[in-house]
Amino acid sequence: MSVLTVKPTSKARESSSRPTRPVLAALAGPKLRYIVATLLGIFAILAVQLILSIALSGGAYEIASLKGEMRNTEQKRQMVAEDINALIAPDTLAGLAASMGMVADNNPAYLRLSDSSVVGEAQPATADSGAAVYPVTAGSEDVAPPAIIAAVYESLNSPQQLSPEVPEEPVSTEPPSATPVAVSPPTPAPTAPRFGGSIPSPTTR
Amino acid sequence: MYHQRMSGRRVAFALATVMLVCLVFVGRLVDVQIVRAAELQEQSLQVRTTSETLWASRGSIVDQFGNDLALDVDRYDISANPSKAGDFRRTGVVVPLAQAVAEIAQVTGANYDEMLSAVSGDPSAQFTYLVKGVTPEAKDGLRALDIPWLQIDLIRERTYPFGPVTANLTGMLGRDKPLGGVELAEDECLMAQNGVATYQKGADGVRLPGTTTLVEEPIHGGTAHLTIDSDLQWYVLQQLAEHGGRLQAQQASAIVVRVSDGHILAAADWPTFDPNDFTDAPPEHMGARTFSAPYEPGSIMKSMGVAMLIDAGHTSVSDRIVAPGFYNIGSGRFIKNMLVSDTRQLTTAGVLQTSSNTGMAVLGERMPKQQAYDYFRAFGFGEKTAVDFLGESNGVLKTPENYDAFTRFAQLYGQGISVTAVQMAGAYQALANDGVRLPLRLYDGCTTSLGEFIEAPVAEPIHVVSASAARQTVNILESVVTQSALRPVLEIPGYRVAAKTGTAEIASASGYGSERVISLAGMAPAEDPEYVVLVSFYKPQSSKVSSAAAPAFTDLMSHVLKHYRVAPSSETAVVPPLTW
Repeated sequence: MSVLTVKPTSKARESSSRPTRPVLAALAGPKLRYIVATLLGIFAILAVQLILSIALSGGAYEIASLKGEMRNTEQKRQMVAEDINALIAPDTLAGLAASMGMVADNNPAYLRLSDSSVVGEAQPATADSGAAVYPVTAGSEDVAPPAIIAAVYESLNSPQQLSPEVPEEPVSTEPPSATPVAVSPPTPAPTAPRFGGSIPSPTTR
Repeated sequence: MYHQRMSGRRVAFALATVMLVCLVFVGRLVDVQIVRAAELQEQSLQVRTTSETLWASRGSIVDQFGNDLALDVDRYDISANPSKAGDFRRTGVVVPLAQAVAEIAQVTGANYDEMLSAVSGDPSAQFTYLVKGVTPEAKDGLRALDIPWLQIDLIRERTYPFGPVTANLTGMLGRDKPLGGVELAEDECLMAQNGVATYQKGADGVRLPGTTTLVEEPIHGGTAHLTIDSDLQWYVLQQLAEHGGRLQAQQASAIVVRVSDGHILAAADWPTFDPNDFTDAPPEHMGARTFSAPYEPGSIMKSMGVAMLIDAGHTSVSDRIVAPGFYNIGSGRFIKNMLVSDTRQLTTAGVLQTSSNTGMAVLGERMPKQQAYDYFRAFGFGEKTAVDFLGESNGVLKTPENYDAFTRFAQLYGQGISVTAVQMAGAYQALANDGVRLPLRLYDGCTTSLGEFIEAPVAEPIHVVSASAARQTVNILESVVTQSALRPVLEIPGYRVAAKTGTAEIASASGYGSERVISLAGMAPAEDPEYVVLVSFYKPQSSKVSSAAAPAFTDLMSHVLKHYRVAPSSETAVVPPLTW
């Protein structure tokens, strides 16, 4: 019974609370705004965090690629330095001078600027004043001279190669993909002259 | 009622289940996050963390102008995995194994057949080298070939751009271990220390930002500075090769020293070796014999003998000496001259100019043993030079109590004493520098990887003889050039040159044999010497007299004068009286 009596009261309470609903709705208005604002704030923070972390990882990729680039550039610098070292080696210079018909003269004279006088006793060099380059080791070294030296000799012997004519690209009517299997790999072949006559050839891949 | 009770039980049951599941989850969470946290974290870190070697390069050896004589370069070892080698697809096209190998051969210039047999010889093998030490350029070419079974590893290689030119001084680097010369002596300066860094990487291999930890910093090697002028060194070596070949000599050495500071500008040994490939070089051609091989110098020592006799007041330039044909030193032994056997009336200047052994013996009587010994020490004989080169010899200088009748006189003309070429060059530097011997210098110092220059210690100069004794001696040496039969060979137009020839007999177990060391030492310009040049040929066959070394000396000296733009001499030489 007690249950029976309770039920109406609960109903009555329910019905009595009914008129307060507009008040609650009025209260929920500002509350909802807070909730929405908070949620938006959280989402905004999350979004910013996401963007930041994307940017950060994107940066990591960039760093990785830049580091690779730096390594490559450093290696290129090193290769050029090696070439320069090979070119300024006295062996090379003397050999090149001799190949151009130059001879050493150990008895030069000097011009003194202060009184325009010639100092010293000049003697002309003779053809045999020392043009040869002598081997200085007894072992049989199989260290090949750097490619760049061969290239310089080559360009000296055939000067026209210094200004190479650019051949016209053969006009191909076929699409490049139709080229047969004979793939020519890119060749930085060390024997090829690296300045002067080198013409980049198109590679089919 | 029943319905309600049932639903209440259900709620309780559901709640209990949820609670239980929660409890299990919480338990697991506690286990993972607290109990086994450290262990798990370590495991995950191990999976993500990679350690890498931070390569540090060994320092360079440079000459006085900063030209690299030895340096580290990047090279690559190319290897393959034969078990995986075979045809593969590249951009949709099948590339057969043979073609791939042919492409590798084309890019690297290596032998096609050898590589093909290496890669297809044992199909079960996991690893085989194809080419070692290819350039970065060839490496890029290989990368572009896109061959899946190819492995490319970075290595550091030591190269010597000038090759044999400075090989005797730089020495060489074995498998990461210096084997001689400056490489070994200054290893502390040159040595590099590889570093270690760890980082975490994602599944795609890219390192996670902010995870790199430097475990050990790489320390690059410092730069070792030599006083050598490698251009000059090359020329000197060329001349040794030319004249050594002409004289059919077994070996030859030459040194150029700057008088003003004792810097060694060139110190060459011929034949030498190529430090880039020394596997088949004969051992006797390796090393710096200018520093390590003492020999009895012969008459070029007379310049020191006369300088010390004048300095000690035992004689003067125009002192009259009777030089006998043979000088008896008792017990049936005689000192004789190289060419003449008659008695001659010479001045002290004449004794040196004609290179009279007996004349030196007569003068030597006046010099107490201890005094001679002290002078020899002051000239730098009997101890290593200030260079203290690796494996440098002290030479052999007997102490006065060990002088016998022969040694006492013979020393003054260069027998019974052994010196290195570099010691002799140092003694001539003292004569050229008004009697003050500046310690020779080859290694100037070390620039660390931080850019700090640590200068090698500078030794104190040593006053050997008075300036006047030194100048008088140099003046006599000038007459060797102007007043002898060698004049046409030794004279350099426009310059005053002072020089002394020397022919030394090579002592063997059975006394002095027929083999010789011929040498010439000298300086120019004689009125105020700037450069000392010493050249010597060991066991020449086609000519065994010292005059045969004269053309080499003249070539070297005239080149030095031209190379350093030395102003020609303006005054003419005053010739001292040579006979009476």
